[in-house]
Amino acid sequence: MVYLKIKRQDESREWYDTFETKETPGMTVLEALFYVQEHMDGSLCFRYACRGAVCGSCGMLINRVPRLACRTQVGIAKKENTREGSGDIFVAGQKSEEENEVILIEPLANLDVIRDLIVDMDSFYNLVDSIKPWISSPEEHPEGGNLMDPDLREQIEKYTNCILCACCHGACPVAARDDTYLSPATLAKAWRMHLDPREDNASRQERLNFVDSESGVWGCDLVYKCVAVCPKKVPPTLGIKALREEIEKNKEN
Amino acid sequence: MREHDIIVIGGGLSGLRAGLEAKRQGADVAVISKVPPIRSHSVAAQGGINASIGTDDSWDSHAYDTVKGSDYLADQDTVEILCKEAPERVYEMENWGTLFSRTGDGKIAQRPFGGAGFPRTCYAGDRTGHNLLHTLYEQVLRAGVRVYNEWMVTRLATDSNRCTGFVALNLLDSELETFRAKAVILATGGYGRIYQRSTNSIINTGFGISLGYRAGVPIQDMEFVQFHPTTLWGTNILITEGVRGEGGYLYNKDHERFMDKYAPESMELAPRDIVARSIQTEIDEGRGFTGGYVQLDITHLGKELINERLGGIRQICIDFAGVDPITEPIPVQPGHHYSMGGISSGKDGLTPLNGLYAIGECACISVHGANRLGGNSLLDTIVFGKRAGEHAANAVKNIAMPSEDSLNESLAEERSNIDSMMGDGGESFADVKDELRQTMQKYVGVYRNREDLETGLANVKALEKRGENIHVKSRVKTFNMELMNVLEVKGMLDIARVITEGALVREESRGAHYRTDFLERDDENWLKHTLAYMKDGGPKLEYKDVTITQFKPMRREY
Repeated sequence: MVYLKIKRQDESREWYDTFETKETPGMTVLEALFYVQEHMDGSLCFRYACRGAVCGSCGMLINRVPRLACRTQVGIAKKENTREGSGDIFVAGQKSEEENEVILIEPLANLDVIRDLIVDMDSFYNLVDSIKPWISSPEEHPEGGNLMDPDLREQIEKYTNCILCACCHGACPVAARDDTYLSPATLAKAWRMHLDPREDNASRQERLNFVDSESGVWGCDLVYKCVAVCPKKVPPTLGIKALREEIEKNKEN
Repeated sequence: MREHDIIVIGGGLSGLRAGLEAKRQGADVAVISKVPPIRSHSVAAQGGINASIGTDDSWDSHAYDTVKGSDYLADQDTVEILCKEAPERVYEMENWGTLFSRTGDGKIAQRPFGGAGFPRTCYAGDRTGHNLLHTLYEQVLRAGVRVYNEWMVTRLATDSNRCTGFVALNLLDSELETFRAKAVILATGGYGRIYQRSTNSIINTGFGISLGYRAGVPIQDMEFVQFHPTTLWGTNILITEGVRGEGGYLYNKDHERFMDKYAPESMELAPRDIVARSIQTEIDEGRGFTGGYVQLDITHLGKELINERLGGIRQICIDFAGVDPITEPIPVQPGHHYSMGGISSGKDGLTPLNGLYAIGECACISVHGANRLGGNSLLDTIVFGKRAGEHAANAVKNIAMPSEDSLNESLAEERSNIDSMMGDGGESFADVKDELRQTMQKYVGVYRNREDLETGLANVKALEKRGENIHVKSRVKTFNMELMNVLEVKGMLDIARVITEGALVREESRGAHYRTDFLERDDENWLKHTLAYMKDGGPKLEYKDVTITQFKPMRREY
């Protein structure tokens, strides 16, 4: 048996419901949520798409840790301390030894809740979009395509793997206190675009100027929570530090 | 009522490419999608995208492989377009920022894929779909295409054989609205989730195909359903063909590399239909592992190569099967993967209904025929997405916005349809959906025969009856997932019916459609496409010729 203690919310109130579900081998939290939605309470809502940890839809707090429900096993989560009542999101390594069978499920932090586990992702997407997250290459490509050094590709790839699930945003203490903060994912993407040799210099410079602010790279506390929770192993903090260095190098010249 | 010259339904690769092109050509264009575009199933594509950019390769060699792979059911004029336009579309994606894997001298790298005579598949590690989709979405943002996120289109509106727009449900508040357009482009993807075992995202219910079908457009070649040979045992998450392309071996429980019995020349790199049947035969004849799987072994490839080119696969195996492929073989089994069939459409995505286009997996432009080669679906999305966007942008210049009448009528019909579903009691969508998925898996799967298909059809018909009595119990307005599911299950039933009937009538084995009671391909009677029209009481099947240009049908051997 496993108990899902789920935070519910609608226009007028917030509450917790606990659902008892039978655990099947390999069951994920997302599967358990579907079981509840299909057989116990059709009004429960949450986002999903791929169920394979590539689309980024099902980010939520599971035992107060931001993660993807689709790749979190019920059997593992139920042995963790739920950390119920803790004000802190994500405390590393805090697991209890005995099975408690209760999994605490709540919406991602630092975003407004629309209903139940569904948060307002538009405010997050708007932060990402504000840095003009695209390559401004010229219309015509060189014959046979652009060339790219395989080593440089490897550097960029770490950041390209971001799926914009907002788990980092939900773990970020700066995002918690400042809703103008661009977010770890956004700044990681800024570094990804900055590194890309296909990006034109003017756009690269414009983006660098844009993130050179307290809402941008200077707002980061450098506590690496985003790096710790990223389901795709993207290291936003390293990107932020690299952007800072780039900005300072620019100012010296 | 909202309006745009062109509205694309679906925000995956084909939809975004169409929307982007229409915008580049100056049209007022919007994309509407039930999930934000970057959540689309395109993101899950792993292995790669084909283009004959190698110095010793050519578009007609690519075309030959595609036609042979299709078991000669593909239309060769559209295959020619697919293969000729491939290099330009791939270079374009590269120029927009796709992070392709590279050769040592910095060019786009290519890997071998099944059924191809050349290592033709360009890739971005094993996250090719992710890279392409994010790149296209970034360019869509750059171009300023309007995107409606989290809207479910529930009914197309038509007037005198023209699509005039549609009715859509805003998932945020469950309100219905009408969208008026001069052209509508369906790009809603496949229907994998009508099968119990599928590599597809949970959102892939094929609802867009049923929208076209219900609007009177024929759906084509639906009996051709691709089963991917290697899906992760248990969850059926895709294990890319790139794993075999990089040198992975398949073993049965007696540690035999069994592919030498089935495709001695190509071994693990035979086309998907052949490898899927070979694995299924091993399992059915008792040479699989307990639980119904075989092993895909890459331990000999070494940690470095696995991390560099198959890092995503490694993570999937660790997260979802508790297996690290650096040290242990991957347990795999065949599962539904792709729909060769779909809404009948032509080389610019035009359907028989004026103003309606269909592209990508929801469409059947017939470049994949009876079996799609790996690396050709991503290519299909951007080649025909671009063509549909361009064609639509030109077409709408000379067309007036349709009148509002048909849209208002459709809105009233959809309101009453949804009202009639609300209430307690009746059937639950989940029960009907689960039974449908089991039926399709068991009776309309890798191997088919008359008896099974007749059982399958009887089950689907019984489920259709039960489907009429499904009720939505939840009254919530904000994100009523039950309502969305009920609408979708009804579409799933339509599609299942057509697949099953088409498969029952087609008495031959061709590509992915394999009949144990008709083992041979029968070109004399069955070298033709199936068209299904929606009529009262079920689909009406018609047939049309396959377009053959330069490649005469031959026996298919690998």
